[in-house]
Amino acid sequence: MISHRKGNAQRISALDERAEALHLKRDMGIADARAMHPSIDIVEADPQADRRLLEGLADWCDRYTPLVALDATDGLFLDVTGCTHLFGGERAMLDDILSRFFHQGFDVRAGLAATPGAAWAAARFASDRIVAGGEEEALLAPLPLAALRIEPATRTSLESVGLRTAGAVMAAPRAPLARRFGASLLLRLDQALGRLDEAVSPRLPVAPLSVERHLSEPVTLTEDIERLVGMLAAALKIDLERRGEGARMLALLLFRVDGAVSRIAIGTSRPMREPQLIQKLFHERLAALEQDIDAGYGFDLVRLSVLTAAAFDTQQADLAGEVTDDGADIALFADRIRARLGDGAVLQPVTVESHLPERAVATIPFTEAPRRTTPPKKPDRMQAPMTIFPPERPIRLFRSPEPIEVPATEMPEGPPLNFRWRRALYRVMRAEGPERIAAEWWREAASDEAASTRDYYRIEDADGRRYWLYRQGLYGGSQVPPRWFLHGVFA
Amino acid sequence: MAMTAVARETVFALRRQIAKIEGTLPERLQAPAAAAPDARVDAGPSIDVTIVRRGVAAALPDAFLPTGVERLDAALSGGLPKAALSEIHGIETRDAGAVAGFALSLTSLILKQTQGLPVLWIGTSEIFREAGFPYARGLHASFGIEPEQLLFSEAPKLVDALWVAEEAARMTALAAVILEIRGNPQRLDLTATRRLHARAQSAGRPVFLLRQAAEPEPTAAPVRLIVASAPAVPRDTIAGPLAGSIGRPAFTLTIGKSRTALPGQFTLEWNPDERAFDERRGEERAKNPVAVVSLSGGRKDPAAASGAVLAFPPIGSPAAGDQPPQGQRAAHLGPRRAG
Repeated sequence: MISHRKGNAQRISALDERAEALHLKRDMGIADARAMHPSIDIVEADPQADRRLLEGLADWCDRYTPLVALDATDGLFLDVTGCTHLFGGERAMLDDILSRFFHQGFDVRAGLAATPGAAWAAARFASDRIVAGGEEEALLAPLPLAALRIEPATRTSLESVGLRTAGAVMAAPRAPLARRFGASLLLRLDQALGRLDEAVSPRLPVAPLSVERHLSEPVTLTEDIERLVGMLAAALKIDLERRGEGARMLALLLFRVDGAVSRIAIGTSRPMREPQLIQKLFHERLAALEQDIDAGYGFDLVRLSVLTAAAFDTQQADLAGEVTDDGADIALFADRIRARLGDGAVLQPVTVESHLPERAVATIPFTEAPRRTTPPKKPDRMQAPMTIFPPERPIRLFRSPEPIEVPATEMPEGPPLNFRWRRALYRVMRAEGPERIAAEWWREAASDEAASTRDYYRIEDADGRRYWLYRQGLYGGSQVPPRWFLHGVFA
Repeated sequence: MAMTAVARETVFALRRQIAKIEGTLPERLQAPAAAAPDARVDAGPSIDVTIVRRGVAAALPDAFLPTGVERLDAALSGGLPKAALSEIHGIETRDAGAVAGFALSLTSLILKQTQGLPVLWIGTSEIFREAGFPYARGLHASFGIEPEQLLFSEAPKLVDALWVAEEAARMTALAAVILEIRGNPQRLDLTATRRLHARAQSAGRPVFLLRQAAEPEPTAAPVRLIVASAPAVPRDTIAGPLAGSIGRPAFTLTIGKSRTALPGQFTLEWNPDERAFDERRGEERAKNPVAVVSLSGGRKDPAAASGAVLAFPPIGSPAAGDQPPQGQRAAHLGPRRAG
């Protein structure tokens, strides 16, 4: 029995058959139930866990149709339009769903109808019924008002005027109903009867292409899965070729026998359709996920879907039959690294127009951007002299500038004579600078510490190592004394 | 001195003998497979192949990356092997700037030949945190490597970094691979380096293994160089060297291991404008540069002091034999011209 807190008291939110046999009811206070039967077992409700379970079930139902939607906290909508023939008809499919759920240990009610509303009613009030198109009215007429998916308040007021079944509501004149009980009642009624279309919003976007294989004997070995991926990719290739496209994002869904679903997605830098390459990428991904994927009793359905596709430009091979494209090699290499180590494993620097050194270069995950192949253009003579003689920049930059201790400077605004960095003392032999870099006032607030001006010095220590230091803030300018940082290293 | 020369001759003679017995050239000097296209090998020895012989060293002419410094190239018998794993060591983590700078200058030399190909720099998160992340603007300014040509790979674990490096080492679409590791991890043993070396050999691309704060240990790399930074000379201006300024990057290079070279020490200077190395000969600058060029100035011509000609060649210099005559040296030590 499961309790939850409702209206300042612990009440029963769900109970099993044996508890029902003890004449316990929903919404009964826990104290009352305990008084009646001191030995009952009560568990606190956990809505998050229920939600996760429902989503897991929805994942599993993906095997029947890609259009699966969650319905409140205790239901699933499956849009099986055009899918039933794959499972041998509507009845066979419904039986298959019910028996598989039963074997997984779930007590499931299902209904199948032409409209979501009628299916909802059929599942809850006429167990396991298949309602043919046009029979919705006959189905709903004898059912209680709850079958119409209406608010409890509306339901009680309908009952108070003597309308106790859906049939009675259908028979009543529409205009007074709408006036008295609001438009939602008629909307629900029309949706259930198929007079209005009701959209079921699926949880996941539908993949434009997917191929799946049902296995009579579940597979457990990673090698078998990889081989299956190769076969599925070969089947995908035909479709991709017909559409003139290549896959940019692929997902592999592994349906375990006991209902758990693993979803493995990979991205590619350029559109891809070669089965070997796709298999290689999944090889890396599966190798990385080895611990996370629990094969258990094996997977009985493997599906490979193309989540995003893009136009594929074919390349002409040269006479020797070899396509020489270094870019493709690198794209594939980057894809493999990323499949195994995550998206940030291959980075690419991008220069940004900014005076602040740490902002002037951004590193982004590798993308197949149009890489420059022509040599860069010479600096324009009309450009500012700054760019003709660019200031020296270090070859390594610390992610966050490291604070250093500067005991003394020759001049108040000058470079330090010596400094302590990572507990070691460095003597400054020579120094160049300062190069003053002001903060970007359009980004930082003036009160912000990062907004103070920096004076950069390029210094060399006694052993010939060259560093880039800066002093943040000015002497005498504000109450806060300036602080020194080491920001980068020169060659 | 004579003893050294005799010992060297003996070693070379023995090597030649071993090579004759084994019927192969010494391993270090073997032409890499990628450098010699298969067709040539299949067709037998009648096909024209140019082989460069320098003493016992014999190889295809483009198997080596000449550094452009004659003395160093001669010591390495032609330069660094182009299709191989090369180790570049730094004694301490704070030398990371010099070590990375030297590797990047080699990369820059390679990029002169293979234009447009990208460079991949792999490092563990640890080293990027300790020594700083490569800064694309600085790399462009100092080594002429375009940001578009750069790829970085940061792996949280050494195993992953090694895996990426192995995958990258066999790519012909990369101009060079730089793998940066800190310390002496157990995973980076003889086997791991041998795998890297074999892949680099078959792809014909160099792999630079940067090891910060590491002790030398047996690896498969044919060459190990130990790099430290050297005090830079002042900047050149039309009016002569500018006192107190910091000029071009300079490195002190020690050959830690090479199958042909004797241990030696070189001071190289990188010219970012021409993207070439210069060697700094003799002891132009004392260990402590302040003694020569003081910050406070006061001297009229600091360059004269820094260019003092020594009366005797430095004792123990490995290549004392090829010190140029006095007149030449004095000319060499004169003020440098920019460019």
